[in-house]
Amino acid sequence: MAKHDDIKDEAIRALLATAHQQMRSGKAAGAVRSIADAYLATMARRPAMLEETVELRPGRTMRKVMRWPALGANLDLDSVVAGQPRITFIRDRFAISEAITYYEYAVETALAQGL
Amino acid sequence: MKFGLFYELQLPKPLDADQWDPDAERRIYHEMLEQVELADTLGFDYVFEVEHHFLEEYSHSSAPELMMAALSQRTKNIRLGHGIVLTPPGYNHPARVAERIAALDLLSNGRVEFGTGESSSDMELGGFGVDRGLKKAMWEEATREITNMMVQTPYQGFEGEFFSMPVRNVVPKPLQQPHPPLWVAASRRETTMVAARLGMASLGFGFETPDELGERALEYYRLVREECMPIGHAINPGLAVLSTFMCAPTDEQAVRRSANGPGFFSYSLGYYYNPATGARHQSGRRNIYRDFMNLPLEQRDGRRTLQQARLLSREEIAEREPDDEVQRALFRAARSGQAIGSPATIRSNIKAYEDRNLDVLILTAQAGDRKHEDIMESIDLFGRHVLPEFKERHETHHRRWREQQLAGVEFPINSSI
Repeated sequence: MAKHDDIKDEAIRALLATAHQQMRSGKAAGAVRSIADAYLATMARRPAMLEETVELRPGRTMRKVMRWPALGANLDLDSVVAGQPRITFIRDRFAISEAITYYEYAVETALAQGL
Repeated sequence: MKFGLFYELQLPKPLDADQWDPDAERRIYHEMLEQVELADTLGFDYVFEVEHHFLEEYSHSSAPELMMAALSQRTKNIRLGHGIVLTPPGYNHPARVAERIAALDLLSNGRVEFGTGESSSDMELGGFGVDRGLKKAMWEEATREITNMMVQTPYQGFEGEFFSMPVRNVVPKPLQQPHPPLWVAASRRETTMVAARLGMASLGFGFETPDELGERALEYYRLVREECMPIGHAINPGLAVLSTFMCAPTDEQAVRRSANGPGFFSYSLGYYYNPATGARHQSGRRNIYRDFMNLPLEQRDGRRTLQQARLLSREEIAEREPDDEVQRALFRAARSGQAIGSPATIRSNIKAYEDRNLDVLILTAQAGDRKHEDIMESIDLFGRHVLPEFKERHETHHRRWREQQLAGVEFPINSSI
């Protein structure tokens, strides 16, 4: 079960708790900002994540961190390659379903990284 | 556990020609009608049909509402599932979706399952001018308003980010109240959790294995209980998973008849949904089936399916898999919970889903170059020899488990599960 309460890292847990609260009160855009900060913090704590790859098909791989959903708060590949990950907001408004998608991804990733 | 059939209406091109036989599309449409009629008489619970556009060979099902209307007059009990309707307004105006769903619900005497989704292939997004980066927000806004159109008299009108309309009474209204059960297509774990939080059933198009499903089912129902913010006016808690399907008198016959179905399904799906290939598709010219058949056998026979399911590494596959072709196919089916084999083999393979509390297993029979007569026998054998015991346990065991999961949920529920 992926719950932000189970995250040990205090700062990441607090960001995701804030996001959770924002989602519950319908503030999707604010939630996405908090979640993006949490994901950046996760990558900062675990820089080895940036090098992990997944196989798309034989002979073709992608960096695992790029599975972060591209729903308007997009992870910039060049910044990942440079070791300084950056999330670019290409719009200000987000839907609740988008916030939920980011939240689930961020919580799952933090827990998978043992944070 | 309940059972459904799933249709993309696949139509591989002939190997020796650049276009289909002129009768080919009519034939697969009428074959589907026959298959679903048979399934209805045998007690299958659902049929789900996709809406896809321009994905030649992979899916020729662009107007599922018409197939569903035809089926509504040929079947009695089977529930008619849109798997799914593309609800971003660029594909379908929300009022037109509300009207069509309601009309089908009336025609079918209340048997509609309203599946929703957004698609992600470049051919479809580009064909209709739908912005990839906004499609999820479009889906949410439109789906929410479609449910409002079904319950408000008159619909109060809407000034949204992606569509607007004035006050109008959207008629007819659906027979099922407040509206047919809501589903959303989920090919990623996150979307299943979106479904839970919005009170929708999850149509799992990611071919989850039983092991993946176990944790997901518990988390899904926890979210429905604790964190649901319904998108509609009634919730539809439920998890469905897609599995490939071919039942035959013997295991060997099932493997032979399954043919290239799963392999071509995966290949053509990957082709259209991978931006590197799908975006460059030469409409009307390419022969995807020929490309597929020109691949080396090991790339055609579903080897990657097992890796994608994260069950085995490439080395483990090489080490453990039987050399014999039939035995290898059965080994894979068993490991990933696929419904391929004799009735006894399938019963054993899919029990793992039931043990992990899956609500609905959706079986993909029509795929690749499989033959209609094999699919008919497959439906018949499964319907007579496998389905009854699972349906019985659904009533005696699963229904109780589900009631426990939903204890304390205060939202209205409209669900056929």
